[in-house]
Amino acid sequence: MEFSLKINGVEQKFAEDIPSTLTELLKRLKIDQATVVAEVDGQVIARIDFEKTPLASGSSIELVRFVGGG
Amino acid sequence: MCGFNELKNAGVGIARQGGLGSNVAEALVRMGVGKLIIADFDVVEAGNLNRQNYFLDQVGRGKTDACIENLARISAETEIVGQTIRLTAENIPQVFAGADVVAECFDRADQKRMLAETVLSKMPRTAVVTVSGLAGYGRSNEIRTSQLGPRLALVGDQISEAAPGVPLTAGRVGVAAYHQANAIAEILIDRKNIQGF
Repeated sequence: MEFSLKINGVEQKFAEDIPSTLTELLKRLKIDQATVVAEVDGQVIARIDFEKTPLASGSSIELVRFVGGG
Repeated sequence: MCGFNELKNAGVGIARQGGLGSNVAEALVRMGVGKLIIADFDVVEAGNLNRQNYFLDQVGRGKTDACIENLARISAETEIVGQTIRLTAENIPQVFAGADVVAECFDRADQKRMLAETVLSKMPRTAVVTVSGLAGYGRSNEIRTSQLGPRLALVGDQISEAAPGVPLTAGRVGVAAYHQANAIAEILIDRKNIQGF
């Protein structure tokens, strides 16, 4: 079964190691959870809920990454 | 004048008064924003003066107090509410209650994330303008503003992290701060046209 996610507007297909939660997706993308704001299908997900946020094929995900300096 | 009333009737929160926040505050006062809520716990250090909007005689002073003092010398038209406080996910909704927009002016990446996440998830009537990627010199045109949603804008090149050998400087921090102030004005003036606000 094909599993695809739209990440920041770009569709990505996953054939193996399908990320079933937001945490798994971020690990796979090598993104530090402490420095990213995540939205799944228009809903902002608090960092403490990344682990228990399931991802379904077709989900739209927005990731805003921060680097230090201000 | 176009936009004058929208700015005059607006309240803007500024989360910290460092390189970004001290310059964003100045720009918003000059632009005629009606109310600013500023919050920081830090004190002015000599090393801040290469980019932050303070003066030699203010070294050692609390940044919130020093910022209020400087803003009062520019205009009496803006109401300034200042708090000397360490901002957390728990107190941000109270500190910035009623703000139309909050400017994210933190230095650390995890704190930037915390502020953005808190405003977006706990303050449904408030927009947030965040900054990511402004360290170093030059490359002014790589610093840009992206409107990522009705309540979220992001300023910066999204890459240039402050690090040893990649300092924060008045040039790029200033470019980013004025992008931020300008994005806030745009949100305040245009929000009646934005769905979902």
